[in-house]
Parts: sequence; structure tokens; C-alpha cells
Amino acid sequence: MRTYASPEFALLAVGFTMVVGIYVVAMLDHVVGGRVAARPLLWREIVAGPARSAALLIVQRRMTTERTDTPGWMLAPALFAALAATALALVPLGPDLVVADPETGFVVFSAAIAFVMIAVFLHGWSPNSALPLHGAYRYAAQALSFQIPFLLAMLATALPAESLSIVEIVAAQESAWNVVRQPLGLPIYLVVGLAVSFWGPLNLPDGADLAGGTSAEDSGIARLLWQAARAAMLVAIAAMGAAGFLGGWWGPWLSGIVWMLLKTVALLVLLIAAGHLLARVRIERFVVVAWVLLIPLALVNIFVSGAFLL
Amino acid sequence: MRQFLARIAAGAPVPVFAIAGAGAREQVQDLRLNPGVRLVDSPREANVLLVAGAMPESLAEPLQRIHDAMSHPRCTVVAASPEGRDLHAWLPDATAVALHEPIAGGLVDVHRGILRGDRPSEPALLPDVEPAPWRGVGPFGQGGTGMTGGTPYGRPMADLLDDRDGLRLDILPLTVGPFFPRFPSGLILQATLAGDVVVESAIEANPFTDLDFEMVTPSPTLGPFLRALSAPVPIAELELARARSHLRWLADALVSQGLHALGVRVLALAARVRPGDGEEVRKLERLLRGTQVFRWSLGGVGPIAAERLIAIAAGPVARASGIAEDARADDPAYRELGFTPVTQRAGDAAARWRQRLAEAEQALDLAGRAGPRQTEVRGQVEGPRGLLLAEGAPTGRLYELVPELLAGLEWGDAIATIVSLDLDLEEAALAAQLTAGVPVA
Amino acid sequence: MSLLGPLGVTLVVFVGALVVVLILWWLGDRSPRTLTAPERAPFAGGLPPAVHAWSRYHARYYVMALVFLAFDMEMVYMYPWAVVFVREGVVAMVEMAMFITILLIGVLYTWRERALEWA
Repeated sequence: MRTYASPEFALLAVGFTMVVGIYVVAMLDHVVGGRVAARPLLWREIVAGPARSAALLIVQRRMTTERTDTPGWMLAPALFAALAATALALVPLGPDLVVADPETGFVVFSAAIAFVMIAVFLHGWSPNSALPLHGAYRYAAQALSFQIPFLLAMLATALPAESLSIVEIVAAQESAWNVVRQPLGLPIYLVVGLAVSFWGPLNLPDGADLAGGTSAEDSGIARLLWQAARAAMLVAIAAMGAAGFLGGWWGPWLSGIVWMLLKTVALLVLLIAAGHLLARVRIERFVVVAWVLLIPLALVNIFVSGAFLL
Repeated sequence: MRQFLARIAAGAPVPVFAIAGAGAREQVQDLRLNPGVRLVDSPREANVLLVAGAMPESLAEPLQRIHDAMSHPRCTVVAASPEGRDLHAWLPDATAVALHEPIAGGLVDVHRGILRGDRPSEPALLPDVEPAPWRGVGPFGQGGTGMTGGTPYGRPMADLLDDRDGLRLDILPLTVGPFFPRFPSGLILQATLAGDVVVESAIEANPFTDLDFEMVTPSPTLGPFLRALSAPVPIAELELARARSHLRWLADALVSQGLHALGVRVLALAARVRPGDGEEVRKLERLLRGTQVFRWSLGGVGPIAAERLIAIAAGPVARASGIAEDARADDPAYRELGFTPVTQRAGDAAARWRQRLAEAEQALDLAGRAGPRQTEVRGQVEGPRGLLLAEGAPTGRLYELVPELLAGLEWGDAIATIVSLDLDLEEAALAAQLTAGVPVA
Repeated sequence: MSLLGPLGVTLVVFVGALVVVLILWWLGDRSPRTLTAPERAPFAGGLPPAVHAWSRYHARYYVMALVFLAFDMEMVYMYPWAVVFVREGVVAMVEMAMFITILLIGVLYTWRERALEWA
């Protein structure tokens, strides 16, 4: 019998995790950004900052442009957040502590990541404005390129587990974390993680060269929901990375939940630091690297680790 | 409920869309250093429009359009010298702040006031007229006359173009306006895009040439160079201004490459750097190399062949393509200090970045060693962007290169290329107006 | 409710999050003012746009999208392969290696034909 929670508990748990995760991402971003900018930080600014910015966006009025696709504009952050929620629902905190553990959990997670392309495209298409449109089409190229390396990198973690269920993938790491057994997997996964949530060096759809890209015409509640959905997806990526590569709940002395949280936060810090310290990658270069470098590396990862398993 | 949220929101950094006119570029850049203010890329995200410095009349309507695009509750702050009456005529509800004092405090106060409800949000300035009249008869505006092949919903649809990969699809003409956040103020680029590749482009004439610069104080990094055209200026001061100019450009360029926090760090460095601090710039260059900006972001982007730059005297742009021209080599005072021009070979955007970093380091070394020496050549000076003569500035000379440079580039590469050219329309217009009053040596 | 199973709960979470965000949007979007035409003009630096943005966009990466389709079909085969890999042994590895090699040759061809760089 596979583990799953009741629907009410599921919604509450995922909702709570998302809100806390979004807040933590905002705080970490502020802290890391402040350190890189060599700017002094105040505690009150760090802790209250995200709440204040959110309040500002709620008070701000949502402006629209001419002849928009308003249903599409509404659906974009909703879809993005729903996909992040789905991904988070699959991450286990312990052997019996998971919102949903389908037998093909990995496939559900991959599907959630794949649909992000729809959400970002809707977001860029709906305002009927040139700069967001370019961002949307750019993300389509980015998304098509990162899908295969992503699937291959995570597929390698399914080999030792002989199962596509996330709980079993984590359970199979009792002897050694996947980052040790399959060292190429985590770097590829992190690069792709940055690409999925278009963060930092891979922030091509919402980039500075497009004056905000798909978010250029966003204001008020629309902007708040979109930024929150991005942060939630980053949390989901970090959590799944911690589960799939860093051994999930396994670890000495501390309880499983604490280890999961620590590992997730560690990956979040890594991703956010990459956002502040790595320069923007050109889309052409990313496409070429994803197809010509990342896919072969991921395949090498699979076959070499597979050979060791036999 | 709204009051409660507004009280919390008053503590957040103010989202400001800042427009720097003539004589105010540095004050606007320095707003990035203030944690209470956040400079945003789009007026949709902004609640406060800051217009600092002097603006020519041709930019009045774009200013008003940007004002109207801002989100409610919105307000405008004008920071101009007392002679900047025009701005108050174009932006009637604006709050005035003095230009040569810290502007950030005024921005925060005005924003808090409007959140509290002290004054209503500013109404739209431009008349409420649809771009083109249209007639429809159906419930969704479809049908009727003038729709098919005309201007549906107020604007025309895109046209077709054959392309080199065999597909015949739409082209999008995109005029990126005078206040695009990555461009210097006043730069208008008319680009024709097929997909996200620039097929052809043109830069419109410099709007700042209509501005009367008598009332405008040149910015602190430009001032020494203009003075050096007609009077001796201490080399230490000149080279320090050059290093500061390069570092300020670098801060904006880093923001365009997605490195906002590093941009703030470089801006802080530009403010505190002193003669002889070449080591700081060396450390900065090592840090930048670690971000891979020279490899991923800018490697091979926008190369300019050396032959195109020979007679243009475009300063760091030319020297980055290998042309070792530098007006400072003609100056005996510089020759005493052992000055030789620095060059790069590649001529792409990464080379231009590296060139300016190397020149900033060299400038700080020269400034540290210069002592009391002064410039000895009149009538021409090597400005931070190239040769400044009484007859013209390097920005105008680089305009002709832009269309051929951008043809065939993807949009992100096109922006990176323009940013790497370090155009400054205010300097170009100012140099043109100095022609009258400068005695030639 | 216990008939839902784990996939059902995942679907509930998906739909629930979708509905919650839509409600939040609706709650945050209540304001009576209508916008004038200039307030609704798309932003491009201050000048009005010449044409509608909606157009037959020239997506230059369409060849790469076709290659992606091929690899996506390969991934469909790799999902069950990963589950039975250890059980089936070297045979499974060799067969999948042959399949992958053929696809990789396709990627190599695409790269050499410069269909991955589009500008």
C-alpha cells in the first residue's frame, strides 16, 4: 500500500510548505545579495523584508495592456504555482512522511517540470507586448533543451532503487548518497534546476535585456503571484534534489525531517548564490551545451553507475 | 485592511523608475546604493517616477507615456536645477526635489505619503485616445468594415518577411525607446526583429542636441575632461575621473548581464576609489572572471573588425580591437609617466569589458604616480569613451557602426553589444555645443 | 476519500493550488478605475508600439524541437528500463546503449549541421 495523506491534510501541508519556502527563498536572496553587494544588512530588514514587499505589491494596482488574453494571464502564475505544489507533494520527509507516494512518482515529477514551459509561455504571450513575447519564445527553446538532461540525470537515481517511486529512490540511498555513487548527477540536476525556475544565470525569459521579459507588463497581485510561484518552484527543485541526490532523510544523529530541511536549505543557498555570482548565459550557448555536453554526460552517468550496479 | 497593508508596505524599498537627464546620470546611478530605493526595469513595477536633470522637449511625450504606464498609486518626483521649468510643465503633479542633495530621502517621503493617502494617485497625462479608430459590429468587436487588412483593435498586424532559413513568417518592428533601462537616456533604437534576431536596425538622432546646456552642470566624471579641452588639469584628477567613469559604466553593464548585486558592489567601489588603488581593480577583474561573464555571456558577441574603427578614435572600443590609438600618447606629461596604450585583440564585447577594466587600473596607477603634473595639450583630450575634440564626441562617431554590428544578432547579444559600446548621448550633445566657445591651441 | 490513492491526492493538490492562486488573483485585483488608452500601451521604453505583438513568430529553434521529440520518445522507453535494469543485467544495458547511440548520432548530426545555433 503506497503512502498518501488525506486530501485536506495534503492541501494544508503543501500550502504551508510553499508559503514558508517562498519566504525562506526571499530572505536568502536578500542575504546573499547583500553579501555580494558588500552592503550591511539589518535583521529587521531581512526578516520583515519579504512581507513588506508582498504588502507593497498587494496594495499596488494591477495594470493591464491593450487587448490582452486575460484568462491566460491569470492562469500563468496559477499553473506555475500548481506545478510547484505538485512537485513538492512528492518529496518525502521520512519513510512514512510524504503527502503522496505514487508508484511512478518520478514520472509525475517530470510531468510537472515539463508543464512549466506552458505556464511561462502563457505568461509571455498574454500581455500582447513585444518584450514579454520574446521572453516566452526564448523560454520555449530553453525548456526544450533542458528536459532531456533533467530526465536522464534523475533517471540514474532510479537505477539503484529499481523503482520510480521517490520514497524508494531515497530508501535506496541508505548505504551511500547518490551524489557519491553518481557524482555527475547532482551538477547536471542543479544546472537544469536553475533552468526550470529560470533563476540567475538562466533567467532568460525574465531577463534584464528584455526589461523584465515576461514580467515586463506585470504589476500588483499578478507580479506577486508570479514571483512567488518562481520561488516555490525553486524550493521544489531543491527539495527533490535533496531527496534524490543528497540522501533525503538518511543521516546520523539528527532525525530525518531535520536532515531533509538542512539539505534542502543547503541546495537553496547554492542555487541562490549561483544566481548572484554567475553571469547570464546566452540562449544559443545554453541550447548547444544542453544538447552536446549535458546529454552525453548524463548518459555516461547512467551507464557507468549502471555498470557498477551489476 | 488596506490601511494595515499600506503601513507595512511603507517599509519596503520604494520601486522607482528612474530617468536620468542631462547632468544627473551619477545621482541616479547612486540610488542603487541606497537600500530604501529599488530601481526597477519597467514602469509597471514602479510607483514613483523620478526624472532627474534636464530633458529636451522631444522627450516630453515619452516621459508622459512612461508616467501613464506606472501602476497606481503613483507619484512623480522631479529633481532638476531651478531652471528646469519645462519638466514641471510636462509633469504637472510632480514633487520637486533639489538635484544636488540626496534624492533618495525625497523619494521615500513622497512614496510614504501616497501610501498613507495624503494625496491621490496621479491621473493620466496623455489624452485617452485609442491608437487608431476601428469599427466592429459583432459582440467581440469582429466584423464590420476596416478590419480585414486594416488596423484591428487599434494597431496594425505584423508583416511577412522571407528569411535565410526558408521560413516566411512575421517580422516585428520594435522601437526601443528613449528610456529603456539598459540604454543610456535618449538612445532610441529602431530594430526589425524576425523571431528574436535583429534583421536591421537604426539609431535615431540624438534628442539631447536640442537641449540648451548653459544651465546644466556637467557631471563630476565628465567635467575634468571638458575643462581639459581649454585649460591645464591635474593628471591625477583626470585619471581618477576616467577610472570612475569606467567603473560606473561597469556597474550598469553588470546589471544588464544579470549580476545586480555585483553591480552595486562595483558602484560602491567607484565612489570610494582613490589614486593608486589599481589593486582594487585587479581584484575586481579576478572576481569578474570567476562569474564567467567573459566566457558565457560575452565571448564572441558583437565583434568589430579593426578596419572599421581606424579613423573613428573611439577610445576603448577601438583599443579593444587592437588599434593602439590614444591621444594621451601625444601629451609630454603622460610620456614622462611612461604611458603606453593598452590594447586587446579580440574586438568582441568581452574584449571591450576587459579593455575598460585594464584602462581603469592603468588610470589609477597613473593617478597615483602623477604627483603635481598637469596636462599639456589643448583642444583635444582622451575622454573615457574616446577622443573628445572641440568638434565632436566619440558617441556620434560610433552611431554609423551600430546597424551593421547588430544585423543578425540575437536580441540579448544585441543589447550586450550596445551596452559594451558605452554610448553617452549627453556627452555627444554637450561636445557639439562647446564648439562655439573653445579656443583652439 | 480513501479511494483516491496517491495519484488522486496529487491531482487534488494540483487543482487545489490552481484554484487557490486564482482566488488570490481575484481578491487582489479589485479596483473600480478603468484605464485610459495610453495607460494600457505596452512598454518599450517610452514610444508607442507600431504593431500588435501577436504574430506568426519566427521560432528559429524548430529543428531542435524535432530532435527533442525523438528524445522524448526515447525517454518513454527509459522509464520502465530503469526499473527492470538491475534485474535484467548486462543485456538491458547493451540494448539501451545501442538505442541511445543511434539517437546520439542524430544529435551529433544536428550539431554539425548547425541547427542548434539559430542566430
